[in-house]
Amino acid sequence: MTERIDRLVRTWIASEQEQEIEEAASEIAQGNATLLSLVKSLGEYLTSEEDDLRTKGVEFLSLVLAKCPQEKLNRQSVRVLTMFFCGKLEDTETIIPALKGLVTLTKLPAFTSIDAVEVIKAIFTHVKMKVLVQSQRFMVFTIVDGLVARHREAFKALGDEFIREYINLAEGEKDPRNLMLAFAIDRVLVIEFDVQKHIEDIFNITFCYFPITFRPPPNDPYGISTDDLKGALRSCLYATPAFGPLAIPLFLEKLTAGSPVTKKDTLQTLDVSLPVYGPAVARENARKLWNCLKLEIFQPTDSETEEKALKTTQVLIHTIYAANETAGSDSAEIEGLAKDACDECIQILREPEKSQAQHAIKVLCAFMSTTPSVARFTLARAVPHLVKLFHNPDELPNRAPTLRLLADLIEAARKSTSEDPEVLPEEGNVPLSPYKDEVLGVLTVGLKTPASALPAIDGLKSMVRTAGLLTDEELGFVVHNVNEILQKDEDESEISDASLDLLCTVSSFASSHVSNNTLPLLFTSLPDKAPTREAEADRIRYWRTLAYLKKLCTHPELFETLVVRLSTKLDLLCISSASNDEQSSIDLEPSAAYAHSILKTLADVLSVKIDLGHADVVKYIDRLVPRLYNLFIYSALLAEEKPMPATDPRLLAVAAQIITLVTQTLNVVRQESFIKAVFAAYLDGDVSQLVEGVQKIPTDKRFTPLQPGASTAQKNLVVLFAAAGIALHKDVSLPVPDETALLNNLLQWTADSAENALQREAVTHLISAILNRHADKLEAFLSTNIADFWQARIADGTVTVDARRNAISTFTWVSKALLVRGHPTAMANVDRLFELFDDDKVNWDAARAIGLIPGPDKILTKKNHAVTRILYAQKYCNAVLPRIIDGAKASQSTRQNAFLVALAALIKSVPKSTYTDQMTSLMPLLLRGLDLPDNEIRASVIDTLQAAATSAGKDNTLLAEHAASLVSTMLKNSMVSHMPSVRVRVAALRYLATLPEVVRYDVLHPQKATVVRELARVLDDPKRAVRKEAVEARTNCSPVEHHEWV
Amino acid sequence: MSSEIFNPNPTIFAPSKAKKAAHAYAKPHSLWLDDGEQTEDEEYDQSDEPEGIDQDEIFELIRSISDPEHRSMSLEQLAVVSAPQITFDPKYPDRITVEFTPTVPHCGMSTFIGLSIRVRLLRSLPQRFKVDIKVKPGSHQSEHALNKQLNDKERVAAALENPALLEVLEQCLSTVGEGEHGHEH
Repeated sequence: MTERIDRLVRTWIASEQEQEIEEAASEIAQGNATLLSLVKSLGEYLTSEEDDLRTKGVEFLSLVLAKCPQEKLNRQSVRVLTMFFCGKLEDTETIIPALKGLVTLTKLPAFTSIDAVEVIKAIFTHVKMKVLVQSQRFMVFTIVDGLVARHREAFKALGDEFIREYINLAEGEKDPRNLMLAFAIDRVLVIEFDVQKHIEDIFNITFCYFPITFRPPPNDPYGISTDDLKGALRSCLYATPAFGPLAIPLFLEKLTAGSPVTKKDTLQTLDVSLPVYGPAVARENARKLWNCLKLEIFQPTDSETEEKALKTTQVLIHTIYAANETAGSDSAEIEGLAKDACDECIQILREPEKSQAQHAIKVLCAFMSTTPSVARFTLARAVPHLVKLFHNPDELPNRAPTLRLLADLIEAARKSTSEDPEVLPEEGNVPLSPYKDEVLGVLTVGLKTPASALPAIDGLKSMVRTAGLLTDEELGFVVHNVNEILQKDEDESEISDASLDLLCTVSSFASSHVSNNTLPLLFTSLPDKAPTREAEADRIRYWRTLAYLKKLCTHPELFETLVVRLSTKLDLLCISSASNDEQSSIDLEPSAAYAHSILKTLADVLSVKIDLGHADVVKYIDRLVPRLYNLFIYSALLAEEKPMPATDPRLLAVAAQIITLVTQTLNVVRQESFIKAVFAAYLDGDVSQLVEGVQKIPTDKRFTPLQPGASTAQKNLVVLFAAAGIALHKDVSLPVPDETALLNNLLQWTADSAENALQREAVTHLISAILNRHADKLEAFLSTNIADFWQARIADGTVTVDARRNAISTFTWVSKALLVRGHPTAMANVDRLFELFDDDKVNWDAARAIGLIPGPDKILTKKNHAVTRILYAQKYCNAVLPRIIDGAKASQSTRQNAFLVALAALIKSVPKSTYTDQMTSLMPLLLRGLDLPDNEIRASVIDTLQAAATSAGKDNTLLAEHAASLVSTMLKNSMVSHMPSVRVRVAALRYLATLPEVVRYDVLHPQKATVVRELARVLDDPKRAVRKEAVEARTNCSPVEHHEWV
Repeated sequence: MSSEIFNPNPTIFAPSKAKKAAHAYAKPHSLWLDDGEQTEDEEYDQSDEPEGIDQDEIFELIRSISDPEHRSMSLEQLAVVSAPQITFDPKYPDRITVEFTPTVPHCGMSTFIGLSIRVRLLRSLPQRFKVDIKVKPGSHQSEHALNKQLNDKERVAAALENPALLEVLEQCLSTVGEGEHGHEH
């Protein structure tokens, strides 16, 4: 048995292979040998005269030990091995392997406190840190760290000696990995050991590292970041109040003389340290600290340092005053720093218009979130001062800046109390309460002057939002005053926006003030009749009023009023303006445009409400939707006799939007009953279930919008048919006996009966939506009807080009519906489109269709309950992109261009991530795409290149490779002489502005002179939007530092 | 750059407000409210009607230059520049005068401010423009010398060859085109 171990030892000494270690360990694990027998076998090496052999002997033992299972190491063997390794620490040749052994041993359960004391003493006696390298010192720190963690009490018993020796050991360490351990040990020592006598020494071995300036080398194997190290050190620095008196002078020095980074580090450290150091130390150094902090606040180097200095000021004040307050001396007069600093700031606030005042108010605002008594004291000083200033006739020109300061202070006061929204402050315990009358007074006066209106509104808003500050009556007073601002017929849009914002805030918790006071005023100012074509000012007035209503009326109660008032207005406008006898001479467009604006307002508010998840939207399927159908069907029927405003397609589009929005929110059952009413009207001419309104649908006229001979006005109403059908859940069954027949009829209708794009698109969207929900039961339609449609309407070259184009567009929507739900037929449809690439007449349309199919749209959306598979665009690209790339490379020119068109259309409509990995092969094709005679294609290619450039990051080798041709192409596309499209010129210039940020300096340098010279000409472009981008691009080319063009 | 502070506590002015006119609601000469659903191509006015460079456009170029003494503030905020102080010569449409107002009459930074306006316009205006830069009459103690210096081509060129000065200049110009007036894309 021992022979085997002997052999392993001999082999290892000769070869130092891992294998012998493994085998020795496994012998021990199986019980064939013991560690002690291994020691015996090693005997001759352990005592050898040759240094090298002694080292190897101990090394082998340590390595095997590390692999041994813990249970093989009983108390006895641990004891023996501990003594053995401690002994080996004396020998300079064996110290390193001995440390290795101790790392393993000290972690074992059988390792006791007695062993621990022995090991630490041996380390203190024999280990000279200065002669060890980093990794060896790391072992020492690892051992000490483990021992301190597990055998703390035993070390405490060693008393001063332990502390003193440890300080010697740790002093002068420089390596970050070791320091991480040292700092952790330091913190434990300071917190748990009696270090009173050695506090200065420990201060010296910790604070000497402050501030940490370490920057990890690239690819640092240990992965220690600057922040790790800073955090570890910081946790030592605030470990004990005893550091306070020693630390503050050091921090002050760093604040005065440090770099910006050091300053920030110091401020952050002060934030955590001051509360630990305690009020006495804080008070004693208050003045000195404030003098340093003041400098950072009043003459800030950067805004981040300024913010941190404000934060530290807060901590300082809190540390000094919080202790007194908990003692109950709440009403005590504020003395000391808070008073002095407050007075200094008030002094500066005597000139509210000056830049220093802005810093001073920040200090006072910071005071608001310190302690309640300091906050009260600050308000008692600052508020009366600002109010007095406002009333001073000499300071009349400075009212706006004065209110701005006041508003900041009110907001800070609000924030200081609203930490817990559930807890209302006690009556009269709101800090601002004692001053609310005078503050409300100056704010409402300030409101009356445009210059000071904005800060006044901000101040009021903060007051309104302060819980428990204003009474209901006072809220009414605020609303009343703000209403006056809104009514003034000036286009001070910023002020109106802010006023509305304030009213919205009020209506969120006290809507009655707005619904009883503001809304009636606004409704009254809406005219009953549309202003004439020439009356632009009146038109702008109603637009503005509607915009106000749109902003205000999202609240359920207010929205209800809005719907009632606006739908009544709509009926009046669309019916009575048409009921005049001299129809022909009347200009209906202003009425239609006014009605459009009203519908748009309703649609916009609905959309906002849906995004906010309001539950009351559902009820408008009964209150609003039937009135809309009534109005539009009535108008279409009467339009056969006289012109009606509500037949305008633009009105239909918005009404459709409203119907779809409301339908989205319905459940399956309600959608089924609704769609039943819609189908009864559109397919059977029975409108009774669908409409409701003052105007009765004439019984002598038939509603037959889908009949071939229907009037244009009736046919246009398919828009409202589609609007109801595109947002249905997939579980809603359509009220028809045969869905295939329905779809085929609709499909033929788009080709045979549709008169215009409006009608065709509406029905196409409806087909697409139905197909998307029910494709699994429409196999017959997909296999037969679609194939026939392709043959007869698209593939047939004798059909007119326009008709084929329209059919391709319908075909695209059919394919879209299938693709998003992952139906296999989608790809078969794409194959058909590729077949058209040889057909000169429609190949570009087919190519564009291929790009459009996976693109985003507003019909097949989640909100509309479309059936979608994840990553469908990705899968589509994976299938189609290689075909396009191959085609664009291989085929001859007409086909080639079609492939380029398909490429441009495709990358425009899919997410960037779907093609980024193909960029290398795409780049040359995209550059060729920029030569195609189609501005829309060029613009989207440039947009794609732009997106690719900005996402690839710095030193983009692909861009570098093509830099020269990119620059010259973009320059060409930015010149008005070469490129008539503003959109392309703007895109090209934006691209040029981006290039210096993403391509290395040396690559662009040869182009620089040309770019700067050529762009000088673009600065004279006739269009402002282009000039703006040219300035931007040229500026990016010019600066000396950190820009690469020069 | 001297480290002397000429005006440690300047007055701050609110930036001029953008007014919302008819075009906020509708396209020019339209009765119809914009529905906000125009495609990218309609984003730009595709008409061939040229839009001349005006006072506001030039002001837009210089308003956000940083003040050399208070880098966190723009020349507009300190009312050093304003739109009405930019004037076109009624006879020669390519001649512009840009006037600026130092915050204090002894301001030693005035040359530098003038220079930063000059460089910004040099880089951003078409070459056909001839720009005169002047301090507001009566606003500076050495007004005459200053005006002469700012419009002397050779002295401007010489100043731009001073690397230290150029560095500060680039810093003050690094804020142009930023913030609310940057493009919204």
